[in-house]
Amino acid sequence: MGAKDPAGSIVAGELTKTYNGTVRAVRGVSFAVRPGEVYGFLGPNGAGKTTTVSMLSAGLRPTSGRATVDGVDVGAEPDTVKRRIGVVFQESTADGDLTGRENLELAAALYSVPRNEVRSRVDGLLERMQIGDAADRLAKTYSGGMRRRLELAAGIVHSPRVLFLDEPTLGLDPQGRAGFWKYVLELRQEHQMTVFVTTHYLEEADGMCERVAIIDHGTIVAAGTPGELKDRLGGDIVTVRPSVPNPSLAELLAQVPGVVAAVAQDGSCRLKCTNGEALVPEIVAACVRAGVGLQGVSLKRPSLDEVFLEFTGREFREDEGLSATDRAVMVGRVRQQLGGRR
Amino acid sequence: MIRETLALTRRELLRLGRNPQAIVTSLLLPILYLLLFGQALNFGRLFSSNPAEFVPYVNGAPTYFSYFAAGMAGFVAVTATLFIGANVIFDRLFGVLKRIASTPASAISIFGSRLLAGLVQPVGLAFLVLGLAVALGPLGLSGLHVTASVGVVAAGEILLAIVILSVMFASLFLAIGFSVEQPQTYFAVVNAINLPVLLTSAALYPWGILPGWMQVIASYNPITLAVTVLRLDLFSGAAAYYPYSAGIYLLGLLGWAAAMILLATLLARRALAPRQ
Repeated sequence: MGAKDPAGSIVAGELTKTYNGTVRAVRGVSFAVRPGEVYGFLGPNGAGKTTTVSMLSAGLRPTSGRATVDGVDVGAEPDTVKRRIGVVFQESTADGDLTGRENLELAAALYSVPRNEVRSRVDGLLERMQIGDAADRLAKTYSGGMRRRLELAAGIVHSPRVLFLDEPTLGLDPQGRAGFWKYVLELRQEHQMTVFVTTHYLEEADGMCERVAIIDHGTIVAAGTPGELKDRLGGDIVTVRPSVPNPSLAELLAQVPGVVAAVAQDGSCRLKCTNGEALVPEIVAACVRAGVGLQGVSLKRPSLDEVFLEFTGREFREDEGLSATDRAVMVGRVRQQLGGRR
Repeated sequence: MIRETLALTRRELLRLGRNPQAIVTSLLLPILYLLLFGQALNFGRLFSSNPAEFVPYVNGAPTYFSYFAAGMAGFVAVTATLFIGANVIFDRLFGVLKRIASTPASAISIFGSRLLAGLVQPVGLAFLVLGLAVALGPLGLSGLHVTASVGVVAAGEILLAIVILSVMFASLFLAIGFSVEQPQTYFAVVNAINLPVLLTSAALYPWGILPGWMQVIASYNPITLAVTVLRLDLFSGAAAYYPYSAGIYLLGLLGWAAAMILLATLLARRALAPRQ
């Protein structure tokens, strides 16, 4: 890790953050994001996602470990890193007392966008984010979706090499989320930006990210493409429903090359296979050869829910209690209050 | 850095301009003090048979109201800086400070812009007080009588005194704003500072009736230093009552301001640096 890390990359080595000496929010995470990649950090609340983003974006000093962003050491040159990245926080950070346009003009000035480009960039982003009609309205009058889009625009007004999105679609409805991602993916395509996104929406990580790291209790428990992660579970699930119950069907289909496991279940046969789609014709052919009549065959790809369950032993739930940061703040306050008596 | 500072200053001024209630409210304080407090508490009436007898008590000012009006200009400048630090806390609570801190903007720009924009109100109000106080005389009320001929140098000194005083207190309150997280804590700390500083200054008390020990304390008070400059430049008889020229008092005030700027810059840098 260091100067040799390529432009646009994010490399973390044993990043650790401990609050108040006791709350271990992030426990030695290491990963490498390739230039131009959309990389997802998936985990429940309190898993350490925001803490990791804060360390990578030079907002928080790690307790130990190192990171480079766009080839620059975050700890050694935080200001250089800030110039090269854009950040969209999970909470609203736009100034409600400024108009949308003024918010973007301010961001452009703070990121030293050349003066002669400010107007065209701001106008272009306002139009693109579909807030052009509301450009001269105070941001506090914007809807949640508009504010999110304004946040995104402020984060990319300087065309950063790396964009950090921390739970960017939190609180948006599915339509708003889809719209937000459409802009992110378009911009990433045009500017070859690397996108690092934290989310606890499984379908978001599954559908939008090229690679995903699953983080739980401050530790990366699994990483890879969504497809690879699902494949590690043993692949797809093919359910074969015979016209007449057949107790030997599971035994028969277990012989089909590519089937990892076959289990009889409620009159059907449930098969785990590495590439279900390609295997379905062979499964059907095996049934035909054995004279087994079929009522139906269905194919299901395992979801990241099951991946999370596999690697953490727990169901993925949104409500996991307090985040590590909240816990640290709470512990600090409780200590403060107890200070006089301890 | 200049561009960042100007952009952030513009933000502060836009926000100020969009808050007319705050501007109107800030105007009420000096108007009420001049029209009610100053008119009622006119010590000069105690010497109505020979008003000149009171002149030594107010260090050469022609009337108590004139002395009071100069003090009031300093007092109003200080109170107008009270909210400047609270805005830092609200910006932190609403996430705006997090956004700004995530950009390459330096802590000096962030502090400097708030200081620059924060001077508009106190300096404006201080001069409003002086202008209004002068205007009251011809209306048959107690008014500010300027007995010295105020030239360019004197006008410059008056402006400098008000600006430096405002810079000093704005820096102090910004330092507190960058250091505490809750508005309640901020106002508790600010009130704990503001009132003692005002009550140990010579802004409102006739100097001549102050006990000796209080004169010693008051003579180092930054509000006293600033209003002394005003009184020296506005009243022809004042020079006889003060040991130093206006320039010396300005230097003393500058020392206070430099210390507060240093403190506020350090605290702003600490508050905006990557968190530990």
